[in-house]
Amino acid sequence: MKILVKQENLAHALQTVSRAVSARATLPVLANVLIKTEDAGLKLTATNLEIGITSWVGGKVDAEGELTVPAKLLTDLVTSLSSQNVELEASAKDRTLKVTSGGSRASIKGIDAEEFPVVTTVGEAPTFTVESRALRDALGQVVFATAADETRPILTGVLTRLAESTLTLAAADNYRIAVRTLALGAAVPAETVVVVPGRSYAELVRILPDSDAPVEITITTNRSQILFHTAEVDLVSRLIEGQFPNYEPVVPRKDAWTARATIDRESFLGGTRRASIFARDSANIVKVEVGSSDGQGVAVSAHAADVGDNADELEANVEGTPTTIAFNARYLTDVLTNLGSDEAILELSGPLAPGVVRGVGNDDYVHVIMPVRTAS
Amino acid sequence: MSPPVRSILHADLDAFYASVEVLDDPSLRGRPVIVGGRADERGVVSAASYEARRFGVHSAMPLRTALRLCPEGVFLPGRFERYRELSEQVMSLFAEFTPLVEPISLDEAFLDVTASTAVFGDGETIGRTIKERILDEIGLVVSVGVASNKLCAKVASDLRKPDALVVVPVGGEAGFLAPLPVSRLWGIGPKGAERLAGRGVTTIGGVAALSPATLRRLFGRHGDELGRRASGVDPSPVQPWGAPKSVGHEITFSHDQTDDRALETTLLDLADSVGGRLRRHHLSAGAVQLKLRYEGFETITRQAGLPRRTTETTALYELACNLLHANRDPSRAVRLIGLTAISLSSTEQLTLFDGVGRQDRLDRTVDAIRRQFGADALVRARLIGRRIRRSPSDRPNLPDERLDK
Repeated sequence: MKILVKQENLAHALQTVSRAVSARATLPVLANVLIKTEDAGLKLTATNLEIGITSWVGGKVDAEGELTVPAKLLTDLVTSLSSQNVELEASAKDRTLKVTSGGSRASIKGIDAEEFPVVTTVGEAPTFTVESRALRDALGQVVFATAADETRPILTGVLTRLAESTLTLAAADNYRIAVRTLALGAAVPAETVVVVPGRSYAELVRILPDSDAPVEITITTNRSQILFHTAEVDLVSRLIEGQFPNYEPVVPRKDAWTARATIDRESFLGGTRRASIFARDSANIVKVEVGSSDGQGVAVSAHAADVGDNADELEANVEGTPTTIAFNARYLTDVLTNLGSDEAILELSGPLAPGVVRGVGNDDYVHVIMPVRTAS
Repeated sequence: MSPPVRSILHADLDAFYASVEVLDDPSLRGRPVIVGGRADERGVVSAASYEARRFGVHSAMPLRTALRLCPEGVFLPGRFERYRELSEQVMSLFAEFTPLVEPISLDEAFLDVTASTAVFGDGETIGRTIKERILDEIGLVVSVGVASNKLCAKVASDLRKPDALVVVPVGGEAGFLAPLPVSRLWGIGPKGAERLAGRGVTTIGGVAALSPATLRRLFGRHGDELGRRASGVDPSPVQPWGAPKSVGHEITFSHDQTDDRALETTLLDLADSVGGRLRRHHLSAGAVQLKLRYEGFETITRQAGLPRRTTETTALYELACNLLHANRDPSRAVRLIGLTAISLSSTEQLTLFDGVGRQDRLDRTVDAIRRQFGADALVRARLIGRRIRRSPSDRPNLPDERLDK
């Protein structure tokens, strides 16, 4: 193998695929990146067996070939190079990669490409296509609501449903649910439902370009993997097996509220953050009073027995019966940070019933937070 | 404007340390039990059972004197950890009736139940309920005084020990105290009593009749306060401490148990009452502790975290069963089993998918039915006829007392 590539492109591709290298690899080869000449360029692949990321770099191929080398070592080396061009040369015989750039020469010991797991790349026909930026923004509104702990593995994933011409993404960690819908360009032939690990989507969000370029999405025929393909990079992820809980009955209907407040998103977020400073010592619980100050405001407050308390009176448009509810502050700040609208709507139907957060003008997103039962 | 009439209870466990020893070793029942140390040791009596008191033994008496008065006495060194444990159970039971519980020591506390009477009935009813539940659920006898202030409640609980329920009617405070000896009044020690006796005053009523000037001459700046107390006036509030750290129940079997199914059924019964108390208490548990005592008194406690905070009977039960199966030595018979909810918090994050809504509503509905119709009104089928409650015949046969009418 012998190929000449631009340092900048190679460094960027290595940084992208390195996200899939596991820090504590069980197999030595999983700490490596697979480099392979392909289609008049270089293909780089890394995988931790949950996800695989593949990236392509254009270059001048003198000899075809492939090898795996430690990802961190190669990435650290290439990002430190100052010259514009980098030549990579490897021979299958001694399993060593020679890196030459300007006056710098290095050789890195590798492992046979044969030992690297097969990582699916594009090949099958895409199931559907969405715009990169739209997918990225939609994922950003749901991924944070996946469960962090593995007690119920299905909840660490994002329900991904294709039906007619709508993509629905739903995540829930048993205390909150985020549901986002996205219009597809064309109707899908049959309903498809898979659960994608939240971690895979978090990586995808990092990788997807902020552009209207298309992302081709393919679910393998055996329903074990999902593949996202863009011009520069592929991400393939395993799917989580099992039945995602039926969240739909838990999401209150749009007209089911008894108290509703429309609040400036940033003030609501600021008030919640200030209250949460005081809530640190009391299980991070903040109290939200819809219909404070003569029924025409929203108060966000926290009280810590040994610390003190804090209350923010927010201007709001309040309808219905005044209601006071307690939430874990983090769940509120998470959704308000990712809401994407200037104004937030909070819909309540009692202190122990799920609270609903929506964005004004965004009917494609709904977020449900379960309250905290408090003694008072 | 006069302040609203309060309803204050003073609850005092009868011969607490000695009663705990009898509770844990029923063979001591009816015998003179003296807690404080071995009879040949230096030291004093910490507590004496009523049987021992008949011989003239009382607390703070040198052990040697106690031995001389009561040679057949059972002298025990005292197990303060155990007393503290039971005391916590008693205090957390009090807290189910009112958040205003002020513990005075391990074995006594004031309760302000003024705001609870709408839910639980008047002070006398609450006092009777507390006495019954402490006997049923913990196995101890408590004396309760009910009055409109702390002073009268305390004097009342002490008046007819043991197993007393003494009610001081509202407006009858001064009359209640009047015939009692001055030594019963807070703030009058032996010296003060002597000074009063010098003036021919031996009853609290006599103190109340003294002029403020005389009282000041006898007791200095405390004189005014003493005069008010002697008239049955005590505005001091019940000052609660923090919330309980655990809620637990345990049961000593009459015959050591070896059968897993029977142990599980007992755990279900314990979880049922612990869960109910958590809910009444507005607390949720973060973890469960299982206690096993084998024949031969070796005791183990094992605990594990719950997957989520809960008050649910079934969640407590399931975790306790897991702990039982993971830790029990199956070759040994179990003498005592206990279940304690720990890592308590007054808040509970509600969940979406655990059917929690349903289970929680069911638990709370059962609680409400039991509050209205009694603890046995609704019982799990598995526990029919097996609910472990002490039979009424175990109870000392002493009538409740009240002074009005």
